[in-house]
Amino acid sequence: MKRLIKFFTSIKLAIVLLIILALASILGTLIPQGRSAEEYAARYGQLAGALGALQMTRLYHSIWYMGLLLLFAANIIVCTLERLGPKYRRAFKPRLEHDPKGLLALKVNARVKRAGSASDAAAEVRRALEGARYPVRQSAAGPRIHLLGRKKFWGIFGSDVVHAGLLVILAGGIISGATSIRTDLALAQGETKSAPKADFAVRLDKFTTDYYPDGSVKAWKSDLTVLEAGKPVLARTVAVNHPLSYKGYSFYQTSYGFNWDNPGVEIWAKRKSDPSFLRKVKVKVGERAALGDPDKTTMAVARFLPDFVLGETNEPINRSNQPNNPAALVEGYRGEAKVFSGWIFANYPDFAQMHAANDKDKNVASDLAFELKGFDAGQFSVLEAAKDPGVSLIWLGCILLMAGLGLAFYWPPWEIKAVIEDAQGKADVVLGGHAAKSREAFAAEFEAIAAALRRPK
Amino acid sequence: MNESVIFVLAFVLYIVAAFFYLAFLFNRKERWAKTGRIAALAGLAAHTLALVLRTIGSGHAPFTNMYESISFLSWAFVLAFLVIDVKLKIPRIGPYLMLIVIGLMALASSPLMPKEATPLVPALQSYWLWLHVSVTMLGEAFFAVAFIACLMYLTTSEPAKKERMDNVSYRCVAVGFPLFTLGGLVFGMVWAYKSWGTYWSWDPKEVWSLITWFVFALYLHTRIVMGWKGKRSAIIVILGFLAALFTYFGVNYLLAGLHSYA
Repeated sequence: MKRLIKFFTSIKLAIVLLIILALASILGTLIPQGRSAEEYAARYGQLAGALGALQMTRLYHSIWYMGLLLLFAANIIVCTLERLGPKYRRAFKPRLEHDPKGLLALKVNARVKRAGSASDAAAEVRRALEGARYPVRQSAAGPRIHLLGRKKFWGIFGSDVVHAGLLVILAGGIISGATSIRTDLALAQGETKSAPKADFAVRLDKFTTDYYPDGSVKAWKSDLTVLEAGKPVLARTVAVNHPLSYKGYSFYQTSYGFNWDNPGVEIWAKRKSDPSFLRKVKVKVGERAALGDPDKTTMAVARFLPDFVLGETNEPINRSNQPNNPAALVEGYRGEAKVFSGWIFANYPDFAQMHAANDKDKNVASDLAFELKGFDAGQFSVLEAAKDPGVSLIWLGCILLMAGLGLAFYWPPWEIKAVIEDAQGKADVVLGGHAAKSREAFAAEFEAIAAALRRPK
Repeated sequence: MNESVIFVLAFVLYIVAAFFYLAFLFNRKERWAKTGRIAALAGLAAHTLALVLRTIGSGHAPFTNMYESISFLSWAFVLAFLVIDVKLKIPRIGPYLMLIVIGLMALASSPLMPKEATPLVPALQSYWLWLHVSVTMLGEAFFAVAFIACLMYLTTSEPAKKERMDNVSYRCVAVGFPLFTLGGLVFGMVWAYKSWGTYWSWDPKEVWSLITWFVFALYLHTRIVMGWKGKRSAIIVILGFLAALFTYFGVNYLLAGLHSYA
């Protein structure tokens, strides 16, 4: 039992957890995450059920992955606290008394005999250390004077600061997972919607798409106005990478779409028997327009589909709300009688063919040709409204993480200890130094201090 | 002179550098290593100019498609190596690193990689593109130097050389790990929050950066706290670099996700 507790509070567990977390995370990138049950069944067959039961299909949000992370956090806390006590004592209540032999056993050491008393020599050593920016502590025990000069001492807390940063990030993640709100707001121009669980609303004033010269999209922009009790308080343009922040909420440009309920359609009508005839018609779906031809035909657009495909029983259906294959169903009337109808396609102008309602109308139907030249549908902008109270902790954790890494790697503590005593009318100065990192640079600095002490007054 | 001519010039200078470094391995004459260093430095200068011209020409950061990205990665490799070589005097790593760089440059020049600078999609229009990608790649470049030092550790039998390579690999990780953490994870989270509205989405590229980070954290803890050195440490660094490499290449080609740009 004791051994078990020891294992759970040991660095060994941290190692094991790092390995398990890495392997589990790899697994999650090999199994597609968050797909439909049918997709898993098709991909894994009989295994699909087991994967679902083990929460492998939402692995990073599974109880066992969360458990691993929490165990990892607990282990970090225990290991860090265990080392913090001794570190604290080393930093703030260091042992000053050292044996000269012990100092001479250090890799970096020096022995200097100086004329004069020990206390004079101690003052000199102190001055030399402080001159090199080592804050010095001093104690006298018996005939010996002990000095301890240390710099960059905060470096020993580097790993603790890193660990604190990781814990703060994990805490932020938990808060985000438990409390964040995310909703998509689809707004047509002029439309107002209230932010989720908030006392203010946003209105979309204008949505624009900017294009590069080659036709690819440069920017989606939504001009938003924040309304408090119906009154505008803030106006801002939201674009990808430029969210609007207000009262803890952020509004992101995530998507856009077309409103196909009542699009305007532009159709050009031509007559094969008269090349000079051209009639440009702009109508809404359901509206009629006279063509002005000798037969006094009127036309109407009965239906408009932005993404025309044929369904299973060969009926026209709409595949998506993107204008991938815009098509209009054109009808021709003579008086109130429908004489022909047919689908025309913006992308396939040659494909249009009008079908006569009766045999006697065949001539009219074959003489008129229609082209779908344009359409304009109102666009709507999709904004994600998000409130994530965990975010500030994440940034705090990141700052701690980076500060800790900086301290741990680039702020290595350097310390120089000295023991000074009187010996046959002279002062015997023994110096020993230790650096956690950057040992060459430290050795050079140590040597300079020792050389300064060797010089006669 | 245009960007592609200067790119080729850099390529040639890297080949020259590789030749001199390689010659140094056999004849052990210091001046060959020095010449190699100078050629690598000249190559780096030319490569820098090519990247600057590309940035001016396209109007955006020089790492938005695979050609640019590999070119920039090679640049970072050479920079990281020269920093380590100037600081620690370790020309023995030179030939291997330059060979990898030459391979990458050849890959970037191959017809498989479209070279045209395309306009930036809205999601990439941010100064975080600069910060996130350049710092991450620089960190990965130091991992690459550590990786070569570890391979050399495993393949040599001289104790003095082993000791040196062990030390060099640690020094590289000591630079690479903070850079990778800052660029890959911290800047990545900040940008994701600004662009996608959430700082972490468990996207495959995010997960693989985290895996890379776990492996190097493992390296540091086994080494500093448990006193592992030498062979076991070297193997962990090699695994870490392979994870970083997979984060960079593998995720783009094998796993789909939010990072599927270009």
